[in-house]
Amino acid sequence: MKSLDPRIERLPELTVAPLPKAPLDQFGSYEVFVQPKEEKPFQHEGIVHAPDLELAYVFAKENFTRRFTCTSLYVVDTRKVFVSATTDGNQNAYDTVAAESVSGSDTFEIYHLLRRGKQHVAVGTVKAGSPSEAMAEAKKHFGDKLVFNIWAIRQADIRYTTPEERDLWNTLPEKRFRDAADYKGGDKLNNFLAKQSAS
Amino acid sequence: MILMYGGGNTFEGIKTDSVAQEDPVLLAAFEARINRGEKIEPTDWMPGLYRKQLIRMIEQHAHSEIIGALPEGTWITRAPGFKRKMALMAKVQDEVGHAQLLYSAAETLGKSREQMIDDLINGKSKYSNIFNYPTFTWADCCFISWLVDAGAIVNQLSNAKGSYGPYCRALDRICAEESFHLKYGHHCVIYLASGTPVQRQMFQDALNRWWAPMMHFFGPSDKISVHTEVLMRWKVKMGSNDDMRNQFLDMYVPKIWELGFTIPDPQLRKKEDGQWAYTEPDWEEFKRVINGDGPCNKERLAVRRIAEERGKWVRDALRKAQTTYVTPLA
Repeated sequence: MKSLDPRIERLPELTVAPLPKAPLDQFGSYEVFVQPKEEKPFQHEGIVHAPDLELAYVFAKENFTRRFTCTSLYVVDTRKVFVSATTDGNQNAYDTVAAESVSGSDTFEIYHLLRRGKQHVAVGTVKAGSPSEAMAEAKKHFGDKLVFNIWAIRQADIRYTTPEERDLWNTLPEKRFRDAADYKGGDKLNNFLAKQSAS
Repeated sequence: MILMYGGGNTFEGIKTDSVAQEDPVLLAAFEARINRGEKIEPTDWMPGLYRKQLIRMIEQHAHSEIIGALPEGTWITRAPGFKRKMALMAKVQDEVGHAQLLYSAAETLGKSREQMIDDLINGKSKYSNIFNYPTFTWADCCFISWLVDAGAIVNQLSNAKGSYGPYCRALDRICAEESFHLKYGHHCVIYLASGTPVQRQMFQDALNRWWAPMMHFFGPSDKISVHTEVLMRWKVKMGSNDDMRNQFLDMYVPKIWELGFTIPDPQLRKKEDGQWAYTEPDWEEFKRVINGDGPCNKERLAVRRIAEERGKWVRDALRKAQTTYVTPLA
């Protein structure tokens, strides 16, 4: 192929039309949560597609904490996040949660959507035997606030950052070349303008 | 219908044209929510037209990030000096990262990522027209880093005030990262401007080549149709193409002039009412390039297709039976 880029010129010619992607040619979906600073709650950051939980963690680290440093990150299979109804106006999502008695002691992370358009933020954990029990428990502990959506995630399903991995983000502050503050052209520009007006 | 998005325009019809068959009660509640300034979240009821238009807009924005990485990416090995190479590599990596965020946001509306990638490499989906032009010199690359990114930021800041929650969240992240791109691009151009006569001429030539595509970037004047009005009311389209272009000219023409460069448009000036006067861009050329007849359309898609084909064995090797694609949550 004719190109300005010699690497592209070296590429093989494509002769056949591309095949549509087979339905199986898709990775699973994983939700990504980040703790931006020590003492701050975890918040939902977005999703990645990956073949398994471990690679989802690696992709999440690249995708969401490449530029912004954080103290911790975790991922969970999207199918393992239990979601309440979404409400609006003055309607509390907890009004849609029915009371239930607790039959087990798994720990669940509880997330709230406090404002539409914002991210889900962690509020704490509850002990319960099932996701719907966890929602009912969350209502008891955190149900006094107006929230528009609630998520419950069993801790056993989460791929957390281990204490040894926390140095993953240690190198970021050194990477000044991708920081807007590292591109101060002001002096050079002013010198240039002064020279222009002098001549 | 001409649609503006994070980085360009397309000419494509939309079939779900009417909102007449939507449930009036649900529609009223949906519009009331937007009027209250609340965002729409993926599980909310939404009109078919809203969903369709957003999928197309976000998907095209994502494709533009992927394809937009190509004309700059080709300069990584030839960027002048180690620092510029590192920075350009980080910038290109960011653009690809932005595509990931945008694809995810579009997925929440029900179109799978694979379907979107299919539509890109088969030429069914469009991307920003400006990336169908070649980067002959390092100065072309600097033009993109500074001014094409500046144009994209004008669009993205405006779209970030739209009504769809996941798109707004993605744009907030993207805009935060773009500030580095803009500063870096300006820095590169200041160095060329204050360099040797050859360097200055190199940027002037790039400016001459890129000015027309840059004016095309924001799209032709919108025809005010019922359709456009509905999309504006639903906060899908946040401003007219002319508004966006004017904002760009207002912010960046003085900065280009400050560096002593000439913009190749004798009509260009700021009028007393604050609007910019300019020579009407050649919209026939714009249509021709969008429809596939630009200098780099074939190359851009071929590179993407080859990447897809060459990556297939890696995806096959990694795939595990227990993972299943599902629509992301938010």
